[in-house]
Amino acid sequence: MKVGIPRALLYHHYGSCWLDFLERLGVEGLVSEPTTDDVITTGSVRADNETCLPVKVFSGHLMSLKDEVDAILVPRVVSPGAGSCACPKFLGLPDLARALDEEMPPVIAPRIEVGRRKAAWAPEWYRAGRALGAPRAVSAAAAVRLVRDLERLDRCPERAEPSGELTIGVAGHLYNVHDERASQGLLDRIRALGARPVTVDEVDPRQARRQAESLSRQLFWGFERAMAGAVLHWSRTRAVTGILFVTSFACGPGSIVGALLEDELVRESGVPLMSLILDEHTAEAGIVTRLEAFVDMLSRSASARPQALGEGAAG
Amino acid sequence: MRVAVPRMGNLPFIARDLARRFDFDFVETPPFTERTIEMGAAMAPEFACLPLKAVLGSFVEVLEEGADTLVMGGGHGPCRFGYYGEIQRRILERDGYEFDMVVIDPPSTSVASFHRGIRSLVPSSKVSLRALAFELRAVLKKVEAFDSLEKWAMALRGCEAEPGAVDAALEDARALVSAAFTTAEIRRARAQAQERFSCVRLDRGAGHLAVGLVGEIFVVLEPFFNFDIDKWLGKRGVVVERCVHITDTVTPGRKNPVYGYDEHAVARAAAPYLSHEVGGDGLLSVGASALYARRGFDAVVHFLPFTCMPEVIAKGVLAGLSRRTGLPVLSLTVDEQTGRAGVATRLEALLDLARSRRQSRLAAGVPVERYEGGWQVGDNS
Repeated sequence: MKVGIPRALLYHHYGSCWLDFLERLGVEGLVSEPTTDDVITTGSVRADNETCLPVKVFSGHLMSLKDEVDAILVPRVVSPGAGSCACPKFLGLPDLARALDEEMPPVIAPRIEVGRRKAAWAPEWYRAGRALGAPRAVSAAAAVRLVRDLERLDRCPERAEPSGELTIGVAGHLYNVHDERASQGLLDRIRALGARPVTVDEVDPRQARRQAESLSRQLFWGFERAMAGAVLHWSRTRAVTGILFVTSFACGPGSIVGALLEDELVRESGVPLMSLILDEHTAEAGIVTRLEAFVDMLSRSASARPQALGEGAAG
Repeated sequence: MRVAVPRMGNLPFIARDLARRFDFDFVETPPFTERTIEMGAAMAPEFACLPLKAVLGSFVEVLEEGADTLVMGGGHGPCRFGYYGEIQRRILERDGYEFDMVVIDPPSTSVASFHRGIRSLVPSSKVSLRALAFELRAVLKKVEAFDSLEKWAMALRGCEAEPGAVDAALEDARALVSAAFTTAEIRRARAQAQERFSCVRLDRGAGHLAVGLVGEIFVVLEPFFNFDIDKWLGKRGVVVERCVHITDTVTPGRKNPVYGYDEHAVARAAAPYLSHEVGGDGLLSVGASALYARRGFDAVVHFLPFTCMPEVIAKGVLAGLSRRTGLPVLSLTVDEQTGRAGVATRLEALLDLARSRRQSRLAAGVPVERYEGGWQVGDNS
């Protein structure tokens, strides 16, 4: 029995937990290869044309896995933390996966609702374990461990805050930022320009939560709440010199959170923010030019006026 | 305090009624025009959906007319709509407008927050809780009456004997219901309206098609954005049933009094294709399409605003539903640049397809004549 996991979307958040779960069941987990041009092309052709880039990438990974595995694990992430929900595409993802191709192997879709009553969703992981052929006790133990691991993810320890050099906060979904191909190697490009990128997952979740709560209306999407909290944290503590907001074409929450953060940073004269929109046609040259301009602007304003960063530079 | 609310389907009638009931100074929101959309689209985030842009445009118009309190619906995800009021407030404030934005969360999100929202418009010194509950119940009855009128009109327009007879009846019926105020008056007006509709002469022999209308509530309800689809289809002899109504959205609980199928039934029907709530009207679109397929409808038209998250999911699985059931489903994406001609061409093609499918099913001996709740939805001539 071989279970496939597409290296896309929430694999970048929860992948290690899912692989541990499969390992405890004694089932072989197969993660698809990193994204390539072919994956994106297949995904764009197969997926509905109006979905966002990450869903197209996900579809491409699914297509590359489907002939090699006996089942595919696509957990349905309903809520990533207490009092929040996930973007609608995560709620319907297993159904989209099933509709993608007629010869799709069985899609196993246990729910994840971190922060809600465990009895409501943990049994689905037990049933998933049983469906994959594991004995009762093993499935139960694996499910209990998985639930605990998922809940712990929320409280990762704080990492060292950077200081001194030119630092750019990259505010984007992990599945875009950590996907080399989808983001056109964004993090490496920033490094090549002599700046240090920090991503949303390097911010202490507690800090991010506290900052996000200061917004006048609470964001209800968990991942975006963490992202907005991280941006506010960076800007208010001046932990970064500038912020790069990375979103994908037709990203629903991204359009709202982007507008919200732009406005909030202008109001409280925070650090400069630039948005970058990715899609399957995104080309290297366009990204490089904009990054260079942004980094130039940051280093110039940092050396000229270290006290008054970012005035009128957002957007 | 001069209050304004956005337009959507029957909402202007309701807003007028609420203003009279609670004695507001009320600014009527003008109908959508090209200018409204242009203004909204220029100010809004690029990938926000059409409802945000259109409503933003009309907020600018009412603010120019002197409104100082804007009312917007809320919610707690996963659809973006719950955050629209906040974004619109920020955008308008940045452009220098001065106003209060009242975001009213639906009671299903939080009763306390719903009450707080209402109370910021209707202070407790003016109306007691008891009176408030009483009035809101009457309003709900009125909303239901207005939605029922539309439902009847869509079911009859396709088989009217004289063109325009149903629209005339709808106008008269709306006037009757608009004038009603108390619960008893509303009930009486609704009965009179039904009487008025029964005067319309029908021609059942013309072989009309039955088409289901599903999709995102704003574009499905607002004629400016769906190119007056119910009249367009009605004129071509099509009986239309829509699964989205304001009443069904605001009524607490899981019943859909106007559409008729409760949410459990919808979720059960949708389950083979979409097995979880996706926010907005996504699950309803899929469930209702599955029910239309089961009831023998000839086609389904699915309207969604560009980048609408729940409906894009629905669109993705509706293709599979169409393949499995054989029911033609046309998904139409609407944004500020959608042109009427393109939509009309695709709808004509859909009707041709539905007609030939009907013919081949007749030839195969599938019975297609049905009556449901007094309305004929198919015909075998």
